[in-house]
Amino acid sequence: MAMLNSNGFVLTTVDELLSWGRRNALWPLTIGLACCAIEMMHAAASRFDLDRLGVIFRASPRQADLLIVAGTVVNKVAPMLKLLWEQMPDPKWCVSMGGCASAGGPFPTYSTLQGVDRIIPVDVYIPGCPPHPQGLLYGILQLQKKIKEKGVKKYDKAFEEFKKDMERQGLVPREITV
Amino acid sequence: MPWMNRAIADRVKFEFKDVEVEFTRHTTNLHVKQERLIDLLRHLKEKEGYKLFIDHTCIDFPDKKERFQGIYILYNPDTNERVIVKTWARDGKLPSLSGLWQCAKWAERESYDMFGVVYEGHENLRRMFMWEGYPYFPLRKDFPLQGIPEVELPSLTELYAGRTEPPSHDYELMHTRVATFEDLERTEKSRLQKKAQLVLNWGPLHPGTHGTIWFLFDLDGEKVVQSDIILGQLHRGMEKIAENLYYFQFLPYTDRMDYISAICNELSYVTAVEKLLGVEVPEKARYIRTMFAELQRINSHLLWLGTGALDLGALTVFLYAFREREKIMDIIEGNAGFRLTSAFLRIGGVHYDLAEGTLEVVKAFIKDFPNRLKEYHNLLTRNRIWLRRTKDIGVISREDVFNYGLTGPVARGSGVPYDIRKLEPYAAYDEVEFDIPVGEVGDVYDRYLVRMEEMVQSLRIIEQCVAKLEKLPKSAPYVNKEHPAVMAPKENVFMDLEDMVKNFRIVVHGESAPPGEVYSSGENPRGELGFYIYSTGGSKPYRLRIRSGALYNLSIFPKLIQDGTIADAIALLGSLDPVVGETDR
Repeated sequence: MAMLNSNGFVLTTVDELLSWGRRNALWPLTIGLACCAIEMMHAAASRFDLDRLGVIFRASPRQADLLIVAGTVVNKVAPMLKLLWEQMPDPKWCVSMGGCASAGGPFPTYSTLQGVDRIIPVDVYIPGCPPHPQGLLYGILQLQKKIKEKGVKKYDKAFEEFKKDMERQGLVPREITV
Repeated sequence: MPWMNRAIADRVKFEFKDVEVEFTRHTTNLHVKQERLIDLLRHLKEKEGYKLFIDHTCIDFPDKKERFQGIYILYNPDTNERVIVKTWARDGKLPSLSGLWQCAKWAERESYDMFGVVYEGHENLRRMFMWEGYPYFPLRKDFPLQGIPEVELPSLTELYAGRTEPPSHDYELMHTRVATFEDLERTEKSRLQKKAQLVLNWGPLHPGTHGTIWFLFDLDGEKVVQSDIILGQLHRGMEKIAENLYYFQFLPYTDRMDYISAICNELSYVTAVEKLLGVEVPEKARYIRTMFAELQRINSHLLWLGTGALDLGALTVFLYAFREREKIMDIIEGNAGFRLTSAFLRIGGVHYDLAEGTLEVVKAFIKDFPNRLKEYHNLLTRNRIWLRRTKDIGVISREDVFNYGLTGPVARGSGVPYDIRKLEPYAAYDEVEFDIPVGEVGDVYDRYLVRMEEMVQSLRIIEQCVAKLEKLPKSAPYVNKEHPAVMAPKENVFMDLEDMVKNFRIVVHGESAPPGEVYSSGENPRGELGFYIYSTGGSKPYRLRIRSGALYNLSIFPKLIQDGTIADAIALLGSLDPVVGETDR
């Protein structure tokens, strides 16, 4: 909580300062999976202009701290998306955009992942098929609010458990020959 | 579009004694034994002129002795006739057609992936959409739509935030099989044997690939020695879903196939279903459909223009094009209530009458848009960088158009005037005037010019539709209420008991379609989108095959990029303009 006293000093905590910086410069990774990606592009283009919220799309996961899962995640693409998520440095957040990413949406089929939260912990779910760009904007504002209220979370514990789980299932990459 | 006539069928019958000719209500089918299939198809291609390969798929009949029936749809550009050739796969095997048509390779791969039919003589029969090592064949009738849950995948959000009571959302703990990295690596390695220096992966999660296409380039320096494309990163099982839904229920799914041109997809689909059910469409609905389909075409071409130019480094065009897209999307939203995946059309008409003021907005748009087009032309058409990047890149010859089953602007860019709107007019396309632009050279630049000119022609069509719609009275019907398979408009449902009962019946039991088969297609911004519906009666299709224009257009990519540079791949892919929702379905 920043306080401005009469002498022109601003008092705040380091945590709050970092959180302020982080929530106002959320840099998402440029990936689009399906229909929602078009609305994500619209949100970034001339009319809705995500740039004014400090949301600038980055092409490399190493530079990004927000993953917007825009579109249907199918079983084949799940490990690739997971890899991208793991390549992003902490602290990082995930927004699940649209019905498909949130819970499989209209595709309860053999090939579709029923909700991206089965491979990536999600911070904000945005409903819609696809959501309006305003919906995405609202979702990002909600995420900013969440970062402000809860600070930077540690995923470590959840990840340890998840990694163990992946090893148990044999989903961890190994050297193979064909 | 007419189907093979009796004279030609008799001629074929004379040549091939054991061919059975069947004239159904909507199609002409030639039944042939598996041994004679290649001979018959070669005869049709070389002697009778059926040289455009439309589609190949299979149908699964678990109760029959030979389980799978192969379906081949061909088109004759000289006489404007189609024909379906059918054969039974003996012991689950069919001969490969890759010697006759190059694109058959991909169709066969897909059918192997989905049905497990083995193609003898195929150069590399691998899974098309699923990964190597996936044990099932999803489109077989004994495979459930939901798949077989076999791995435990808990929700990580709950794992992290703790379980809530009641749970934050309702889900099953068990999940269908998810690919592993081993699977993906095996998929990659099985596709391409390294010959040159370096195998470069482009995609699947790369914004330049227009979705999630996975390219493999075998590079010698900057030169591409060989390449392959792995699809299936957006395979959602559309055809399986269609088999499990009533005809009207599948309509919103067609939006999500080629999500950039939703209304064009819907139009192709409802045209096919209306043909099967025998539904007449009122005049007003036909004009509304045509107008919105053309608006959607402009919308789609604008996205192609914006992203294609963005890939080649022209950011301004992207921002300009999206400005106009927003205007069109507002018009669609005002009428359908949704921007992108609008579900505006209905079997037998459209969902809503025109919203008040729509025609004025559309008129303002068509008045304004030519100036915007001029802006794009100013930015690109004579731009030296643009010319250097697009001229003489990826030249497609006329033979290749037929050889690879190319349709849409890609075919027209090479000078083949193949446009379903003219050849088999649907909606109100036979009552409006427009021209078909064709290219001369067939390079990326020609395809760019063709699409730019198509937008102008679309404006012409919209103008005529607006003029017609203005003359029609407000009370003119926009949906065919009389037909028993057509849902009544919403306002009637709330006011009229009979309409309510009719709607209730259709929603609960579906439309009952007569047995039969129909292939009908529409001219989409990405080529011919065809629907082959095989009905055995009842309210669900026995098999619904989607002929994707984008898939066939993409099939020529490995050939075009061979001996090209890696930088050309981006310009070339932009000009082929695939959308993964449609290629993968």
